Amino acid sequence: MAVERTIRHIKALATGAKYMLGGHRLTLMYPDDIQEFPDGYRGMIEYDWDTCIKCGLCAMVCPADAMKMYVSKEESEEGKRPVRRPGINYTRCIFCGFCVDICPTNSLKFTKVHDVAFYTFEEQIYPPEKFREGIPKPQYDKEPRKVRAVLDEKRGIRYEPVE
Amino acid sequence: MSLEERELEVLIGPQHPASGHMRLVAKIDGDIVVELRPNIGYVHRSVEKLAEVKKYLQIIPLVERPSLADTTANNLAYVMAVEKLLGIEPPPRAQYLRTLLAEINRIHSHFYGMGIHGVMIGSSTAYMWCFGDREPLIELAQELTGARLTYSYIVPGGVRRDLPQGFEDKVERVMRYLENRMPDYFDIYFNNPVTRARLEGVGVLTKEDAIKLGVTGPNLRASGVPYDVRKAEPYAAYPELDFDVITEEAGDAFARVMVRVREIQESIKIIRQVLKNIPDGPILDEKYMKMIPPNLRKQVEETGHIKFPGVFANLRVPAGEAVARVEGGRGEVVFHIISDGKMSPYRMRMVTPSFRNVILFEHLTKGARVADIPAIYGSLDYFPPEADR
Repeated sequence: MAVERTIRHIKALATGAKYMLGGHRLTLMYPDDIQEFPDGYRGMIEYDWDTCIKCGLCAMVCPADAMKMYVSKEESEEGKRPVRRPGINYTRCIFCGFCVDICPTNSLKFTKVHDVAFYTFEEQIYPPEKFREGIPKPQYDKEPRKVRAVLDEKRGIRYEPVE
Repeated sequence: MSLEERELEVLIGPQHPASGHMRLVAKIDGDIVVELRPNIGYVHRSVEKLAEVKKYLQIIPLVERPSLADTTANNLAYVMAVEKLLGIEPPPRAQYLRTLLAEINRIHSHFYGMGIHGVMIGSSTAYMWCFGDREPLIELAQELTGARLTYSYIVPGGVRRDLPQGFEDKVERVMRYLENRMPDYFDIYFNNPVTRARLEGVGVLTKEDAIKLGVTGPNLRASGVPYDVRKAEPYAAYPELDFDVITEEAGDAFARVMVRVREIQESIKIIRQVLKNIPDGPILDEKYMKMIPPNLRKQVEETGHIKFPGVFANLRVPAGEAVARVEGGRGEVVFHIISDGKMSPYRMRMVTPSFRNVILFEHLTKGARVADIPAIYGSLDYFPPEADR
């Protein structure tokens, strides 16, 4: 029994040493490396002002009350009746993507951006006029390396640079 | 103050004693636990009550939130109950895709449980390894669904996305990786004499007690009860798949870990079968497919990403009652929905596996040593938000 135990201790230590020297690393070195996400990644949402038919389905389906219909000022004054357009509140958004999937004209689209920092609470609210301008561009101190996750038989996951 | 012998009351938590927000009230006599009562409810979020004011589709992300690691099980069980009320049956391809995601989720949920257990008994290596090896699986799920954990992938009538291009290859590579790595897990952790000393014979749950207390999931199977909802009441694509119910006889903390390890191996088997046998065809029910405008229907066929029909925004479900259950990573998830024909359920009951397993804290720790509390806690794969809901 004591022999068996000793062997097992040695095996455990040997396995640890194997991995220590083998360079088996899964860590993504964020933010020096930034991962490129696969197509269809549910990130922040882009809004197409021109194709939107203002049906309001996105606001209706939103489970977190993030997407809401706002009265669009200029248009309402021009048409002399209230025109409503969607706006999004990123303090509430849970990135379920229901609004994108229900939009009948593909006016809402996923982007692959999710890591944006804001200074204030209010900045995270995107009424229609701000929503149409697109998502904020992530800013980096040093331009990061873009990497892609490659699934690997031996290493599990490797991050390879993309051009 | 006299020096008489007396019991000492120790409060563990609720600020993360090890993992999860819950207070354990322990009465100890020296090093022996006399009584340990979990003080649950600290992270109660009233999911059931919220469901009464949310629309049917909006409840999908809601029921996913309580279980961080095991979202698919809740998503699937809820949608199955809604589908029973709607009287629809998803197409076979959707059933297979549901099974695929459920099994990917089961593997990374087990890794999560084992990792937390590892760090609770002081093995940071196990924690790092398990959490690292969750990553390839999460990466797979992300490619399939677009999100890392809260997939919201299963909707009434089918699933939201078809298999991406080249997905089978990637899955196969990850499955081979897990198989290659398993022997090293045994060498460094499961067969490590330190691990064995901490877990073997600790927190023994007998077969009779397991049944009497209504324990569920791997904790039940570790006591030798071959009960699995996937076999007892098959759903999704499970009736067509070949797999075994994993049991262990010992009923101790180590047996509970072993059940999870062997279930990972079983899930690998299931995933391979799913990808081999997956039938072609639509991934959303015909009834809903017809409601999608024709130009979008073409787009759906090209991209494999479902567009919701407009009715999904205000989905009305016929009055009635439905119960659905699913074997999640942690155990049996039950949903009971009562509908009165309006846009929200009249009542939704959500029974999670952690809620049923929490009784074990009191039962298993009696007479154990204080140092065994985390060893038992972790082996149960208990998750407070899931139990509190």
